[in-house]
Amino acid sequence: MDPLQSLHWILFLPLISAAIIALFLRRQGFIAAWFSTATAFVIAGLALNLLLTTQGKIGWHYDLAKLGEISLGFGYLLDANARLMLFVVSFVAAWIHLFSIGYMQDDEARGRFFGGLSIFMFSILGIVLADNLLMTFIFWELVGFSSYMLIAHYFDKDFAAAASKKAFITNRVGDLGFILGIAFCLKQYGTLNFEALSAVSSFQGFPVVVGLLLMCGFLGKSAQFPLHVWLTDAMAGPTPVSALIHAATMVAAGVYFMARVSFLLAPEVLQWMAVSGAGMAALAGLCALAQTDIKKSLAYSTLAHLGIMGCALGLGHPELAVLHMAMHAFFKATLFLGAGSVIHGCHHEQDMLKMGGLLKKMPITAATFIAATLSNCAVPFFAGWYSKDAIIEAAWHQNHYAIFAFLALAALATCLYSGRMLRLVFLGQPQSKNAEHAHESPWTMTTPIIILGLGYSIAAGFATDALIPASARQVIAKPLQEMAFHLNAPATWVGLLALTFGLLGSLKFYGIFPGRDSLQVFSPQTYKLLEYRYFDHAYRWYINHIQRRLAEFIAFLDLLIINGLAVRWIAGGFTAALGQITSRTFHRGQARGYAVWITLGSLLFIWFLLAR
Amino acid sequence: METFSQLNPTLLIAAIFTPIVVGLILLAGKSLPRSFSSAFAFLGFALPAVIAIWLFLPCSEAFGSPLKLRVTGLWGFNLGLNGISSPLFAMTAVVGLAAGIKALIQEVESRNTYLGLILFMLGGTLGVFATDNIVGFYFFHEFALIPTFILTLYWGGEGRRSAAMQMAIYLTVGAMLSLAGILIAMSAAGLSLGEATFVKLFLALHTPQISLPTATAAITLFGFGTLASLFPFHSWAAPGYSAAPTPVSMIHAGALKKFGLYGIIIIAAASMNLGQGSLSNWFLICAVANVVIAGLICLAQRDLKQLISWSSVAHMGPIFLGIWVCTSRGVAAGLDAAIFLMVAHGLSCAALFLLANAVRTRTGTYRFDELGGLAKHTPILAACFIAATMASVGLPGFGNFWGEIGVFLSLKGEPLWLQALIASTVVISAVYSLRAVASVFFGPVSKEITERFSIAPFKDLSGAERLATFVLLGASLVIGFAPHLITRHTNEDAEGLAKIAKIKKALSNSANPSVR
Repeated sequence: MDPLQSLHWILFLPLISAAIIALFLRRQGFIAAWFSTATAFVIAGLALNLLLTTQGKIGWHYDLAKLGEISLGFGYLLDANARLMLFVVSFVAAWIHLFSIGYMQDDEARGRFFGGLSIFMFSILGIVLADNLLMTFIFWELVGFSSYMLIAHYFDKDFAAAASKKAFITNRVGDLGFILGIAFCLKQYGTLNFEALSAVSSFQGFPVVVGLLLMCGFLGKSAQFPLHVWLTDAMAGPTPVSALIHAATMVAAGVYFMARVSFLLAPEVLQWMAVSGAGMAALAGLCALAQTDIKKSLAYSTLAHLGIMGCALGLGHPELAVLHMAMHAFFKATLFLGAGSVIHGCHHEQDMLKMGGLLKKMPITAATFIAATLSNCAVPFFAGWYSKDAIIEAAWHQNHYAIFAFLALAALATCLYSGRMLRLVFLGQPQSKNAEHAHESPWTMTTPIIILGLGYSIAAGFATDALIPASARQVIAKPLQEMAFHLNAPATWVGLLALTFGLLGSLKFYGIFPGRDSLQVFSPQTYKLLEYRYFDHAYRWYINHIQRRLAEFIAFLDLLIINGLAVRWIAGGFTAALGQITSRTFHRGQARGYAVWITLGSLLFIWFLLAR
Repeated sequence: METFSQLNPTLLIAAIFTPIVVGLILLAGKSLPRSFSSAFAFLGFALPAVIAIWLFLPCSEAFGSPLKLRVTGLWGFNLGLNGISSPLFAMTAVVGLAAGIKALIQEVESRNTYLGLILFMLGGTLGVFATDNIVGFYFFHEFALIPTFILTLYWGGEGRRSAAMQMAIYLTVGAMLSLAGILIAMSAAGLSLGEATFVKLFLALHTPQISLPTATAAITLFGFGTLASLFPFHSWAAPGYSAAPTPVSMIHAGALKKFGLYGIIIIAAASMNLGQGSLSNWFLICAVANVVIAGLICLAQRDLKQLISWSSVAHMGPIFLGIWVCTSRGVAAGLDAAIFLMVAHGLSCAALFLLANAVRTRTGTYRFDELGGLAKHTPILAACFIAATMASVGLPGFGNFWGEIGVFLSLKGEPLWLQALIASTVVISAVYSLRAVASVFFGPVSKEITERFSIAPFKDLSGAERLATFVLLGASLVIGFAPHLITRHTNEDAEGLAKIAKIKKALSNSANPSVR
């Protein structure tokens, strides 16, 4: 198949799958599940084939229509970044599809769920392939919609309904800036095409405002400060959704997009991204310590890693950000799927304090979860180590010591919450009936975590050559080479210290009070501080006290002034002017009054006709 | 819109007059058997849709270009379609078909009269967009509007009397004001009503000797604006739509309301001095108020149908802005996008009225505090409602997206704060729309619904309701995936109008260098 044709298939297969499921397979959950999964694997195969057989840039463009002088373009741009992202997204997604078959086995609405996954695939692949800002925006919105739909999967629960709404609206706030950024590019440069824009950038810089505006889209989608509030709530969706959308791919799409348009970002914008990303990483990492829901704890961990990626972008290393995104996709997907397997095994228990001792009951899940955790903690030569330490080191080399300190704190926090998680979930004694009766998950669920966990989380680092094809490594070759052996760099020391004290310390510390959170016992204030809902409270306050009151006030004014005084007064005056008869009719019955109006209107009209 | 070619008169006449003739027969034969009148009425609703879609799609071009069509019709009315009106004509017919299906499954008193009046409304609205002269324009408008009042008054819901009254006052005054402005302009240009086609009016007013006072243009502009619920002349709209029976709200808010917008484009903007000076600024302020103030009012609504009615007012804002940026700044994209949005909004807003009523017929209420968790009982209704909501908040894939994004992008030359204020509609509309979805369909099933369901169990969307929804959302998806279907009609005329606006701007700048 020629590359262009496979790109068409890659993009449109999921849409076809979604349409078929929506129209014919709503009630046939089993068929829908396998159908959607099969298309995901076909896409992964096609993406792998593209990765292995093509080189250089592949482009294609078609104008859908023209609005005035604005052409609505649709096209693909497959470069090295896009190839890697395409591979990561489709590969991880295919395994998560397979996992979902097991996880969603007893769900009545499987058809809707897999239809939603297919729509999501269509949307994210569109972002990966897009060759211009408008098309990126289109798929950007569609990703937001599919995320909304999938978070609302358990729509009869109030928290899921609220979380889906919150995710969509927060994303839209970011998109507001994105649209303005697009309009700005169009006005200033007359094009939205990436290639054309980068040609512009080679002979002139871009103003700060365009970078800031486009960054808003990234802040929303990648849940960066101050639009990060939706991600933890989004865990209300089914666990495979959290793994695919809210850990591995969609939130990473923001990073990918920023890497793609990194030439548009002025130094001030980069500065902001670096600082806020590093701060986010440290803060979110610490907050993960005060969550008892296993998925929420992982969600804070995702926030922290997204902060690290944002920081890498800000430090001027988009290739490192993309590398970390890829590695993070593998190990974080494994962690979420492992959490899903644990939740499934413990009969839908999500509270870590009620788990414990699962190492023996769920050995495969435990082994893969531990492998992915070690990668998450950046144990040397695991996948996460290559990308994360490189970013920390970059901060040191560029003399950004504050950023370096934040990132070091983030590394320590990562080890702390990882150790806590391992201790509470897998070690010790079972803390509830559900955990006592836990069982290992079926093969559809364990296969994906073995492949993603053991295969990619451990080996993606030092066996990159075997696991990630050469053409995809193109992007990451340079940083990998520079990073290969840097054992005496400061970042390595920071990493090793964090590992030793953080991981081992928290493994010990959280064993002290079985069934309770040790930090909460020792220092309830610290724990409360880290629960961190300040922004949620602030936004809620704004909505309840400002937005709602303003809306009600304006509605009242409209009723009072425009509708009440002005209209009634004018209408009353009009009627009075028309004389007693009309006004009396007015009072006696509105039906007749209205008939009078119609007659008057028609007479007036006829008079106009005749008078000419 | 300058040239019309002779083509296919029968089809156009059939599309407009079939509903009217069928409506007359139904009105006359009040005791016709039910099955006969249903079948007959369906013909009246479906035939215009078939013809309009045929004329709209590229396939009809085997007969030549359908875009510039002029027919000498009955009783001296000239009929024709131009680039701006042909998408609106097609949209009207599609909305009419869906509204007709809805009307046919409703149980009402004096059913034949009801159906006949709705058919009149449809025929009149189709006529509005297929006429090429002032007399026909106003005739067809009144022809559609009078049944609207009657239908609201006798078949409407809560508060129908005052709503119909208010609507009658506003719309009559609005129409008369705009007509008065046009008549003054015509007398200045020395045209008589009989010969006043849009083209002649345009040409006559563009001879250098004629200069119209701003007030003339103003009453025409704001007269039309009233009909399209321009702030602050919008007070009739929300109660009017809310009180009207559903098929009437669908045709009125979806299609007939666009009379005012079409009038602004083709008469006020093309012919009169709309684009320059203080009038243009006032228009801009009103349009922004439509976006922001009506949007905020939507946030305060507690009732599903009220919310949809208000959102229909708020969604006029971007359309006004698209027209404004074309007529005052000469940006053709603005008008292209505005027409796109007029079509797409007609479809999505009709779908929302249809589905909201489906909620009401099942649960007996529109109130948010009594609704909740309905998706459990009616998953397909919920899915369709979410789809229609997504269409109306401008999700890509539906036509509304191209309209909204097109308007935003065409405003690229304006100050950033103004753009931000206008684009804030993407957030505001998402907030109130998703809140509505969540409080009607999500969460635990409400007490009221549980009670109601135990007394009178209701079913999911019926076949006819699904068909009507499918027609509307399907059409929106088609233009969403293939936007050129609309723009191939509008591009040329939008460019023409933008060019005129630029020339006028240049002229007024050179005549009056101190004013920008």
